Amino acid sequence: MITLNRKLKKEHTEPTNGLTTAESIVRRISVRDKLLIKEVQEMNENLPATCSVHFEDPNVLSEFILTVAPDEGYWQGGKFKFTVIVTEDYNMAPPRVKCQTRLWHPNINVDGDVCLSLLRQTSIDEHGWAPTRRLKDVVWGLNALFTDLLNFEDPLNIEAAEMYNKNKTEFQTKVQDYITKGKR
Amino acid sequence: MSGEDYDGLDRGDNDGQKPDKMFTLKKWNAVAMWSWDVECDTCAICRVQVMDACLRCQGESKKDSYGKQDCVVVWGECNHSFHFCCMSLWVKQNNRCPLCQQEWSIQRMGK
Repeated sequence: MITLNRKLKKEHTEPTNGLTTAESIVRRISVRDKLLIKEVQEMNENLPATCSVHFEDPNVLSEFILTVAPDEGYWQGGKFKFTVIVTEDYNMAPPRVKCQTRLWHPNINVDGDVCLSLLRQTSIDEHGWAPTRRLKDVVWGLNALFTDLLNFEDPLNIEAAEMYNKNKTEFQTKVQDYITKGKR
Repeated sequence: MSGEDYDGLDRGDNDGQKPDKMFTLKKWNAVAMWSWDVECDTCAICRVQVMDACLRCQGESKKDSYGKQDCVVVWGECNHSFHFCCMSLWVKQNNRCPLCQQEWSIQRMGK
């Protein structure tokens, strides 16, 4: 955190060479990074018990791995890793999220694409992304995909949702198969 | 008369004096608080006070003719306030107030 603050200060004091495009990129990054200084701390302070975050490079706050280990429901016993990338246009645009663990879930496909309303850039209702949302809301949303926000009505993995509707035991077995396959 | 006699006896128990004060205020300092007269004083988009320059303008250190940072506040019909800079970026993609989801229309602008 301290190093990033210093880096930001340095960026501001550095003389500009009249490169307007380069300048504007630096400015956009710095707005995101300033937001991240506050939001990463807030996220860490409000982390649900089932979640943990890891920063590969502690000086880069815009990329981290979120691990969700559900303590109830169909995915109990599994550990699911998500990469979260906060792009330069944050917070006008939501972070980009990808699930790195293969799993059987109606709202996450086997390629790792995640269907979560608050990560949707354009949305006609109030559930989509808004600049008032923060990183802690994204973590909360991903964590809730295994409990409260689990949605079989509007699936991304249609096969998984159909299996659940036909045979819940089969669905449960397949979910656990993926979990044990992932552990090997 | 007998009632008065009793009173006299009661006072006798208190040594006939006024009861001691619980505490005495010897010194005090007055403290005044103030806040902006708006419903929402922090811009929910950049999380900086609306009366200060927004996060973007602070980075650019834009100055107006008075040497102050030129970053105005905008109030919507829904009474929510934001920095004009922050809100104009957002309405480009979604013309709703990000706090109440009402259609965004400007009620007034300024400081």
